[in-house]
Amino acid sequence: MKHLITSVVMASTLISGAATAGTFRLAHDVGYAGAESLDPISPNRFFYANQMLYSRLVRQDENGQPSPDLATEWSASADAKTWTFELRKGVKFHDGSDLDSADIKYTLERIKDPEIDSPVAAVLGVIDSVNIINDHKFEIKLSAPHADLPLLLMDYRVRMIAEGSGDTITKTGNGTGPFILEELDPEGTTVLKANPNYWEGTPAADALEIIGIPDSQARVQAVMAGQIDFEDSILAQQSKLFSNNPQFQLQSIATGEWRGLVFRTDMAPLDNAKVRKALRLAVDRDEMLKLVSGEGAGTVTCDHPVWSGDQYRTNIDCSQNIAEAKKLLKEAGFENGIEVTISAADNEPEWIRMIEVYQQQAAKAGITVKLNMVPSDGYWSDVWMKHPAVATRWSQRPADQILNEGFRSTATWNETFFKNTDFDNALDAARSELNFDKRKGLYADLQNTLWEEGGALIPYHLNQTRVLRSNVTGLAPVENFSIRWHLVNAE
Amino acid sequence: MLKLILQRLGLAVFTLFTVCVLVFGVTEALPGDVCTAFLGRDAQGTRLENCRQQRNLDQPALQRFADWGTGVLQGDLGTSLKRDKSINDLVATRMRNTAVLGFGAAMIGIPLAIILGVMAALRRDKPADMMISGTSIFAMTIPEFVTATVLIFIFSIQLQWFPAVTTVRHNAPIADLIPNIILPMITLALVMMAHILRMIRSAMIDVMASDFVQMARLKGVPYWHIVFLHALPSAMLPAINIIALTIAWLLGGVVIIEQVFNYPGIGTLMIRAIYDRDLPLVQAIALILAAVYVLCNLLADLSSLALNPRLRTAR
Repeated sequence: MKHLITSVVMASTLISGAATAGTFRLAHDVGYAGAESLDPISPNRFFYANQMLYSRLVRQDENGQPSPDLATEWSASADAKTWTFELRKGVKFHDGSDLDSADIKYTLERIKDPEIDSPVAAVLGVIDSVNIINDHKFEIKLSAPHADLPLLLMDYRVRMIAEGSGDTITKTGNGTGPFILEELDPEGTTVLKANPNYWEGTPAADALEIIGIPDSQARVQAVMAGQIDFEDSILAQQSKLFSNNPQFQLQSIATGEWRGLVFRTDMAPLDNAKVRKALRLAVDRDEMLKLVSGEGAGTVTCDHPVWSGDQYRTNIDCSQNIAEAKKLLKEAGFENGIEVTISAADNEPEWIRMIEVYQQQAAKAGITVKLNMVPSDGYWSDVWMKHPAVATRWSQRPADQILNEGFRSTATWNETFFKNTDFDNALDAARSELNFDKRKGLYADLQNTLWEEGGALIPYHLNQTRVLRSNVTGLAPVENFSIRWHLVNAE
Repeated sequence: MLKLILQRLGLAVFTLFTVCVLVFGVTEALPGDVCTAFLGRDAQGTRLENCRQQRNLDQPALQRFADWGTGVLQGDLGTSLKRDKSINDLVATRMRNTAVLGFGAAMIGIPLAIILGVMAALRRDKPADMMISGTSIFAMTIPEFVTATVLIFIFSIQLQWFPAVTTVRHNAPIADLIPNIILPMITLALVMMAHILRMIRSAMIDVMASDFVQMARLKGVPYWHIVFLHALPSAMLPAINIIALTIAWLLGGVVIIEQVFNYPGIGTLMIRAIYDRDLPLVQAIALILAAVYVLCNLLADLSSLALNPRLRTAR
């Protein structure tokens, strides 16, 4: 019996045991239940593996601005409809073949292929055609002017694959990225090994292991027990488990994700812009952030969707102003205050808390907020974009994309039913403005318009808390898409 | 005798049918349908239509219930929405893993509970009894996720003997699962032992005071013979139902333990299915778990019949 116990203990120590030198281990949530695909444009894309296997043409630098990846230089024609790119020379795919313009043309055209029906097609909708000039130079023709084509190409799914490899890419993972596929097993452990020919130099880690752990609490346990080295996002409450412990490092990173409230701008009394402004002036955003998500768990935003890491973000002063809110309500004919009923479910734990805090804050301005609890089943189909006021959630998107997807009059997800032709025209103007400072000014005006007239209450963007074991090196406190995986190692 | 068995079987089939109706009915009563629940914010346009078409959602509910029921009777549980795979395949390996874990826990827990129960009964009200009874009740009253967390803290985080969470895939060979099931097995054994132990203890106390044991003593039968050959088999009878329920619980209800240890069993699959709003999969698992409970109870009834002649006489 004693021998049995000893051997079981030894066997398990070997399995759970200390990291092999130079292997960096991380977990993913098996969000597609084992159907994770190495095709970067599949709706089931294997998020982590694809970031390490493939490269983009353009990637973000630490300030969120476009910087060279496979493309070294780019320039636009005066009408912003034709873009010319220089391709990096000497880059090889994992199978040894050379990267050239034909691969880029193939990849971009494949993304737009209606047969494949990729969710990424919409992102590159403005691309009309790709023309090869020579092996390392190509031009992209657009159907409408777009001054921020490089931002679109920075999308984390626009990753280059070899010409003609579309049918096999799901299994081979043949890219130009810092790591090469060794074994694909999304529900177990996926193993990647270092690419010695990576254009930026040999990666610091010899291998990467991506382990499937669906439950977030279990991932936290796995970090604590040393089964993985990194967990990208933990709850603010969980950070106490790791702070002040020399075995771990914590990073807090701003993101573009938010939870907010939505008021339909086409239903009385909220069709009056003064009433909507009053609803927003009644909020004490710092207090709301602290009470709903926790101290330091977010960055205050003034009801526009552009997050703090975006180059087009403009900062507005939106501190609570009860007197002004009361004045606006009076001007709109609601001297005795108004009543608003917000429908929400518990899909997101923050929603109910947010409405409760808002109830207290808005009461001071004579606004009575009522909470209408609805079932979480069917919330997105029966309540959201149907009831006059609802709760919402959005993930991070670049300024141009989020303003067009969520606030343009014709957008499918225009949840506030905001109809403003000047706003739509300004969106088009910003897109075709080639001068960066002018463009930034135009985007700032758009954000100000939303603060003055919009129907969304976006009190803050969320921060993400990341935990690393203390032996991890080379992982900068930047958003996930900007991590330079070839520098990361667990020593 | 045969009539009794048939009666029990009939009752079991009826219970399962009721469960089928309930599971289907509850899903129907949800706001929206399977497709809107699953697609969430994307529930619009062609995607929604395609999904509804694939699921025959345009047909009347009774027709769909008949189709689903026929499928279930033929052993076809349908197709998972999110995973787009046959539910039979998804469930098979997970059920195996849950059975491995449950079997392991039962192998430790049940014999240990019986032995400790007997010891407690024989040392009634003495320090040994108080310690055994006290500890087992204490172990039972702590919620299993607390026990699990404490065990993980000690054996995985501090000592690093066992993995904190399972990282092997669901269809790995059983040998690969072994190191991962030790901590969950201990947790489950700690939680389940008290019920059986208390039952054996009180039954044993009664039996040891009964006439036939007195008689055996007076005739000079050796003490341990009396305890294990004569008293224990009678004391086991009342415990059988508890043991059956415990086994049913192990095979279906250890959701929390599986979740805490990230163990790829039927419980974690159910949680994921609920989380993904994958209603066909939720329906199938609910049905399987109900069937496990019904089956275990049926077996307990039948084995009580076999062990106790008094129950067999038709009334």
